Amino acid sequence: MTSSYAFDVRNVSKSFVLPHHRRTTFKEVFLHPWQRTTYERQEALKDVSFQVEKGEFFGIIGPNGSGKSTLLKILASIYRQNEGEVRVDGLVSPFIELGVGFNPALNARDNIRVNGTLLGLNRRELEAKFDEIVAFAELERFVDQKLKNYSSGMQLRLAYSIAIQVPFDILLLDEVLAVGDASFQEKCFATFRRFREEGKTMIFVSHDLEAVSQHCDRALLLDLGVPKAVGPATDVIDAYDALGRAARTSAVPTT
Amino acid sequence: MTQTKATGRIPSRSFRHQLRILHVLASVDFKLKYADSALGYVWSVLKPLMLFTVLYLVFGRVFHLGAISRYYSLSLLIGIVLFTFFSDATSIGMTSIVARESLIRKMTFPRLIIPMSATLTAAITLGVNLTVIAGFVAWNRVVPRLDWLLIIPLLIELYAIALGVSLILSTLFVRFRDIGQIWELLLQLLFYASPIIYPVGYLPGWAKKLTFLNPFTQTMQDIRSLVLYNDLAPNRITAAVAFGSPAGRLIPIGVAITLLSLGLFLFRREQPWFAERV
Repeated sequence: MTSSYAFDVRNVSKSFVLPHHRRTTFKEVFLHPWQRTTYERQEALKDVSFQVEKGEFFGIIGPNGSGKSTLLKILASIYRQNEGEVRVDGLVSPFIELGVGFNPALNARDNIRVNGTLLGLNRRELEAKFDEIVAFAELERFVDQKLKNYSSGMQLRLAYSIAIQVPFDILLLDEVLAVGDASFQEKCFATFRRFREEGKTMIFVSHDLEAVSQHCDRALLLDLGVPKAVGPATDVIDAYDALGRAARTSAVPTT
Repeated sequence: MTQTKATGRIPSRSFRHQLRILHVLASVDFKLKYADSALGYVWSVLKPLMLFTVLYLVFGRVFHLGAISRYYSLSLLIGIVLFTFFSDATSIGMTSIVARESLIRKMTFPRLIIPMSATLTAAITLGVNLTVIAGFVAWNRVVPRLDWLLIIPLLIELYAIALGVSLILSTLFVRFRDIGQIWELLLQLLFYASPIIYPVGYLPGWAKKLTFLNPFTQTMQDIRSLVLYNDLAPNRITAAVAFGSPAGRLIPIGVAITLLSLGLFLFRREQPWFAERV
């Protein structure tokens, strides 16, 4: 079965259970047996629906804590939604929260081996791609150093480099521009243009609205887990600006 | 309420790919375990041997248990090596999901591979220790027999128990970290409750039945009797003897299958939520 959608997201809701006084040890239960743990359901996403077509570059924007990363993790099948349905068509390469889950005690060589394998490379492909991964990240001199000695910018470069060298149809990018320097950003944008020519699909989460308007066809605006606008990127960015103005004006006490 | 349903979508990759992931994770686990240690892997052989020496001196010599059979020391060594495997595999398996938190929070792959790779590293160590035992067995002039091949399915059964228990523990450990302390105590209890340092024949009838409910006792006893007691028929106390019927053999095997099934069921039910709970 083929569809024209890379993602078909319908009525997805996600909430996290947050105990007010979290009890993870029995001791706490024994010491305060009658103290009820009160749970709070924090709704991270409320009834979110949208479709992303194949070959489309789709932005997700919104203020901090609006559920962007949660949504991305659901798209990557890392989290499971409580309600709703997500259909994926294509191989997904996730780049979540500045990385791909490196082990700080291992050197770059082993981390590339672990993550490359998890993302679908076999040993031969890994060998073939290894130099490319290191070269793109510009970390040739540091491949045998442990990741804990890497700066966050170096880790980000390596993570991005792995995420784009594995086979994928859909790339999920969460804040890839956040800690990279200007030259790395320019390199990212160059790869974006290449992916567009190759017909890849990209979901792009960013606070850099200029980059979103420049690279994304359409976008989704989330605010406190609620989808506020879906449509052409520039319109959604306007909606975001309006949201910001509304919030600022409502915060100003009226006399 | 909308009428949509939540669906699980961990993408299924090919079996070969999952084996590759297992291989890479296990080799990395192995590397990390012995990183920055001078003797490295030698420790995994030295530890059971040292434990053996201490227990042999105390129980074999001071308490004269060594006098009951000329195979007491080998029997003890086999018991210690098998128990060390069970103890290591379940302890590492229990913490494996939490230890791999960063991967779980950012990557999609079958979570089952994590406890499998943790228990496999313990199994590799068991393999090395078994060759050490083989050396001792040869030194004791025990002649190998064809039915020693039965050791292979017994080791597979032992691995299945260790994996089943690891799956249950790792699932629980995500929610309750106390499991770590509790399991340490239970392992101690299990060590002395199993006929490792004393012969199973010392136990009264009801205790024999009880200990053979534990598939660990059964695999250990079966391996011992295959290797050591061929010339000593009365010493062959196995599950069949303890339960007084040949069908008794099936009881611990049934427990082993139940443990593994329960582990798989629990783990698969909880794995979609690991990423947000670790």
